[in-house]
Amino acid sequence: MDLKTKTVTLAHGAGGKQTSELIREVFKAHFSNPYFTADDAAVLPGTDGRIAMTTDGFIVSPRFFRGGNIGKLSICGTVNDLACMGAQPLYMTCAFVIEEGFPMDQLEQIVSSMEATAKEAGVKIVAGDTKVAGKGQVDGVFITTTGVGRILDHADPSGSHAKPGDSVLVTGDIGRHGCCILLERDEYGIEAQVESDCAPLWNNVKAVLEQVPDVHVIRDATRGGVGTVLYEITEESGVGIELDREAIPVAPSVRGVTDMLGLDPMYLACEGTLVMIVPEEETQKVLEILRGMEHTQNAALIGHVTEAEKGRVVMRTAIGTRTYLPQPGNELLPRIC
Amino acid sequence: MCVGLSARVVRVSEGSALVDASGARRQVSAQLVPDLEPGDYVMVHAGAAIAKITEDDTKQADDLMEELLV
Amino acid sequence: MTDSVSMEKKNAVERAREIISDYHGPKLRIMEVCGTHTHEIFRQGIRSLLSEDITLISGPGCPVCVTPVSYIDEAVMLALEKGCTILTFGDLVRVPGSEKSLQTARGEGASVKVVYSPQDAEDYARTHPEEETVFLSVGFETTTPSSCIALKQAISDGISNFSLLCANKTMPAAYRAMMAATDAYLYPGHVCAITGLSDCRQMLELGMSGVVAGFTAPELLTALAVIVQKSKEGKPFLVNCYPRVVTEEGSPQARALVAEYMEPCDSMWRGIGLMADSGMDLKEAYAAYDARKKYALPRIEGREAKGCRCGEVLQGACIPQECPLFGKRCTPEHPVGACMVSSEGACSAFYLYQRRD
Repeated sequence: MDLKTKTVTLAHGAGGKQTSELIREVFKAHFSNPYFTADDAAVLPGTDGRIAMTTDGFIVSPRFFRGGNIGKLSICGTVNDLACMGAQPLYMTCAFVIEEGFPMDQLEQIVSSMEATAKEAGVKIVAGDTKVAGKGQVDGVFITTTGVGRILDHADPSGSHAKPGDSVLVTGDIGRHGCCILLERDEYGIEAQVESDCAPLWNNVKAVLEQVPDVHVIRDATRGGVGTVLYEITEESGVGIELDREAIPVAPSVRGVTDMLGLDPMYLACEGTLVMIVPEEETQKVLEILRGMEHTQNAALIGHVTEAEKGRVVMRTAIGTRTYLPQPGNELLPRIC
Repeated sequence: MCVGLSARVVRVSEGSALVDASGARRQVSAQLVPDLEPGDYVMVHAGAAIAKITEDDTKQADDLMEELLV
Repeated sequence: MTDSVSMEKKNAVERAREIISDYHGPKLRIMEVCGTHTHEIFRQGIRSLLSEDITLISGPGCPVCVTPVSYIDEAVMLALEKGCTILTFGDLVRVPGSEKSLQTARGEGASVKVVYSPQDAEDYARTHPEEETVFLSVGFETTTPSSCIALKQAISDGISNFSLLCANKTMPAAYRAMMAATDAYLYPGHVCAITGLSDCRQMLELGMSGVVAGFTAPELLTALAVIVQKSKEGKPFLVNCYPRVVTEEGSPQARALVAEYMEPCDSMWRGIGLMADSGMDLKEAYAAYDARKKYALPRIEGREAKGCRCGEVLQGACIPQECPLFGKRCTPEHPVGACMVSSEGACSAFYLYQRRD
């Protein structure tokens, strides 16, 4: 990087010489590919079959956290949304809104991890936009990413495809991103080694779909966590879900933090953990594939889809009783007194 | 009414203790429980250790049922 | 709280479970006094194991539920009209006042911060000398000592921008008030960790049975089994089923600390009314740290929502489903009554964990 200024200024968003310089030195330097040109739009080759398209805005505080940063998150979020539809991520665009005075080296770091993450997921960033907002008008940097992917020929996962008897899996231990952010904000004086699970999962999904095309549902358990996603699926598919509470993987340190605050990890965000619902007979095969790959070693069978209790998620407890998993609702507040 | 968490004492210093629950650590007040030492288990509530405890509820359950059913 | 039950534990737990499932005899009413018990009993699905002859009543031991509407009104007034920063446990943020909750007030510009402990509140006050801060001091015998630790610290730090809005409560008056509603108490384990067993012994002298219970599934099951077995013997009993935490004498240090700064007072319990000597308030010597005096708060008459039967629910006089608002106008997202707002409240627990049709 060879920028003269150490921070982003309003001039970087004014469209003149400094804007070109920022794009050239920061964005183009990292997002270099034949489709990323100076023209007004990226021109892309046509593709056969169905395409999936998605967009997502990212505001996270703090911007840098154990296991990632807002840049990595902005790629993972969109890549994983596409992966959940069985779509190979092909192209992405990203739009930045940056606060005046934002440190250039931080921007460089964010963009650099976007590059690395996109590379891992095999997606090309083909267009971008930068706006600079006055001091105090945004909190540091906001990123919006949009992605397009090609859906694998035989894949057809959807939140409405869960069927009674299906197995419910998670691709890793739950709640790590939400817990990590909670700790980074340091509002409650708790320390624990918890790293965000933030990861692009296309390669993992692809490996599963290539051997088991008939995966019924794939959902990323981001905001609201696994609990929220499962309730969504029961609604969309018109089924019930029964979970085995003891089978749900939670890292001990995450458990320690949530116990301290009276929170339930079922509602904490994941950024690299998916819910997968598969035909029962494919369960072991899918688990084997996932457990053999990076990011999904802790994949686990946590329950199954039921005909009964439509619209509800039932928990089987350690003592063999059944209760409902509480419906997700409000802002997560620590429970103390 | 009173959410409690059992945790292990890691360090004790002037009226406060660093406690650990499965890797989650926090400084809590040790003013309500005298003579805490590293390795002790305590029940923590609202930022204070409220009792020195034995960690395991297994023996307690066994003893209670034993006594009850003689 | 860990959920796994090891193999050895299963024997004792299995037997306890059989006892509470197989009981047949005179109807047995058991009141779990403590809100955390209510929450865990629902979360563990323990109600489904009980014989038809056993009824569990969720009692008045959730500080959020028994805190009167006027208390929230006072906090909102401190935040919006007196410009104070409110420091509070997360539990209180969504409780509806006469007109608004602290959450609503925050939307209108009030400064409301959630803290993990009273000491954290004191710490905030010390590091933000430009703000006038008030900690919402609620809770029972377990929580009150922490408020006093914070006050002691504030005095030793010499800070003057920290005060308490007290609604601290003590259990014995409630134990006596609820006697007629139940045959045995499941005493709150963590209150007893502080008080020791003397309050329970006094109840025993009045002929009231009970056991002190812990909070894990094995602890709750064994405590309930002990009640069932002992009840058969036909005479009042008291058993400490939580000896790993609760001792005969409790924590004299905690009680001495509280006695230094606070004194008993009459206290208003939502749903029950005014009870003599059922609360703790700051002593006159610490008036400078009493938010009501410091900011000359007027006496506020809180308005309870019409039709809400929280009061009867707290006394075991009705179950949540019998309230006309339950699940309709009153839900955890839009609570009308206090028992719906706290996840430890009976209404919320019923709504979230139980079949409703």
